[in-house]
Amino acid sequence: MTEIQAAAVSAINVEMTFGTFKAVKDASFELQNGKFLTILGPSGSGKTTLLRLIAGFLTPSSGEILINGRSVRAVAANKRSIGMVFQKLALFPHMTAAENVAFPLKMRRFDARTIPDRVAQYLKLVRLDGFENRRIHELSGGQQQRVAIARALVFEPDLLLLDEPLAALDRKLREEMQLEFRRIQKELGVTTINVTHDQREALVVSDQVIVMNDGEIQQNAAPTQMYRMPSNPFVANFIGVTNDLSGILTRVTSADATARFGNVELMGVHGGAVALEDGTPIKGAIRAEQIRIASAEQSMAGLDADFRGTVLDAIFEGERHVYEVEVPELGGETLKIIHHDRNDQSALEPGALVHIGWKNRDLQIFPAKQ
Amino acid sequence: MNRSPTQTIVFWSVAILCVVALSAPTLVVLGASFTAGNIIDFPPDGFSLKWYVAILGERDLQQAFLRSVIVACICVAVSVPTGTLAGIALSKYQVKWAGALQIYLLLPFTVPLIGSGIGLMLLFGELRILGSLWPIGIATAVINLPFMIWAVSSSAASLDPDLELAAQSCGAGPLQTFFNVTLPAVTPGVITGALLMFILSLNEFLVSLLLVDARIVTLPVQIYNSIRAIITPDLAAVSVVFIAVAALAIIILDRIVGLEVFLKSK
Ligand SMILES: Nc1ncnc2c1ncn2[C@@H]1O[C@H](COP(=O)(O)OP(=O)(O)O)[C@@H](O)[C@H]1O
Ligand SMILES: [Mg+2]
Repeated sequence: MTEIQAAAVSAINVEMTFGTFKAVKDASFELQNGKFLTILGPSGSGKTTLLRLIAGFLTPSSGEILINGRSVRAVAANKRSIGMVFQKLALFPHMTAAENVAFPLKMRRFDARTIPDRVAQYLKLVRLDGFENRRIHELSGGQQQRVAIARALVFEPDLLLLDEPLAALDRKLREEMQLEFRRIQKELGVTTINVTHDQREALVVSDQVIVMNDGEIQQNAAPTQMYRMPSNPFVANFIGVTNDLSGILTRVTSADATARFGNVELMGVHGGAVALEDGTPIKGAIRAEQIRIASAEQSMAGLDADFRGTVLDAIFEGERHVYEVEVPELGGETLKIIHHDRNDQSALEPGALVHIGWKNRDLQIFPAKQ
Repeated sequence: MNRSPTQTIVFWSVAILCVVALSAPTLVVLGASFTAGNIIDFPPDGFSLKWYVAILGERDLQQAFLRSVIVACICVAVSVPTGTLAGIALSKYQVKWAGALQIYLLLPFTVPLIGSGIGLMLLFGELRILGSLWPIGIATAVINLPFMIWAVSSSAASLDPDLELAAQSCGAGPLQTFFNVTLPAVTPGVITGALLMFILSLNEFLVSLLLVDARIVTLPVQIYNSIRAIITPDLAAVSVVFIAVAALAIIILDRIVGLEVFLKSK
């Protein structure tokens, strides 16, 4: 064997064209063994297509997919060691829960004597012991999810693919199942690719996140980095609530950039990778929860930028308040601000005059046009 | 749903009218078969089972009945595999000319039965296979095949296309996928279609009339021939038996299909 272990999955310049429509454009990434990758993107961004290319249901129009370092171009879907959970689960309706889980073992010619034990073991893993002989329609939504995951894992695949299997569940059950997937994935250590359009799920459960839009990979990073250092306005806006400010670049160094917004010059950070030139239009992005808001000016101590503003709208969301604040100094821009107030002492009313501010390192500066 | 009383009355009147209209012929035959008199008549002249006893002794009627059942079985045996494959292919795979094919499959309905009957008669005559039962079975299968295809393809069309991909990801090859997943999933359609084919073939009159000769008459033809000679109540009795067999087939198979459909429901 080689000294360097090959990535569990690598995509090299993968493209998928349907007719003249490019559903996946020049996608390249690597996923290391045992890791949990989430592909995040709006509906129609090519997530399912990318997953189906990896599963072998589609063949790339160009580019190469490697699994454990080997090209799988010539390997049929049923010869790949990949378990998959489908969005609509696709459980076999004419079989019981146990028969569904046993099916991959039969198809993959496991020793018939070991099958019942193994089925029992995996039903136990997903906490469905006692439900063996239920028909699929006799199980609840959450239980059906569990059968689907047991069926995908029972033959110990090299790779597990999840195509938004939680999208149809209500929020509470979805959050429960997200943690359940993570628990099982950790317990078995199986390399996993999860597809979702739920940014919270992506951040909570993943080791690695890929954001897609229009068939293109926008960013590939760890969740914390994805959140703190989005590589373009799309990612910044897709993850969390972000305010966009339009401005003109005035000065740029290797680490930071200064730009004019309305009447003021503000300093922010940039990823460094993309060309930023003086005088070009830029987009500034600042997260709603990274803006501080208070009625007293002294609360702005320690911040780099601070402005006066007027509260236009205040929404109470339980654990937080969401404000819309008009800031005349920024050319009359309206900013969204999320304020977590543990004591619930400082609720502000529409019309209130307030101070808002932030740190320079929280203002991201991107070229206006990608 | 809240209906006004007038609406309810209208609704029920129409419903009852439909039921009466649909079942009147059956009721008349049923009544006539129990007559105690010697001519077929409705309302019946007294009540007796004597015509049922009578048909027990009529070998011609019994043999004709048996032949009809054999024809229906041949029809089912021919149409189930072909219709199932065609139905699945039409709805699941992107068959070339699928649209044209669908219209082509409608043809048997648009061509009057007498036309197809004469066509088949000429064809079978040319092939010199007239005079045995199996060509009649095949003929009824050909003429009614669209029912079979429709039953299967509507079942297949409601199938989640991901089921077959799921089977693949479980390691099943194309054949294993077909036999373990696709076929069981369309079973309700196959059973419905088989039942329809059985009954349609059992009852087929016009085409049988053109294809049979005196030695191999099927029951509807036998009854028709008898009516032309003399109408006796035994014909009503045998019709009732005939209807009962068809009804029994429906009841038994509806149990199975009903169950399957129920199991399939999500
Ligand atoms: N088989 C196909 N033929 C044509 N277009 C397709 C096909 N599959 C997907 N697409 C198109 O590719 C785009 C991406 O689809 P998909 O990968 O399903 O997106 P997502 O899963 O991110 O919602 C969509 O615009 C979709 O209409
Ligand atoms: Mg999708």
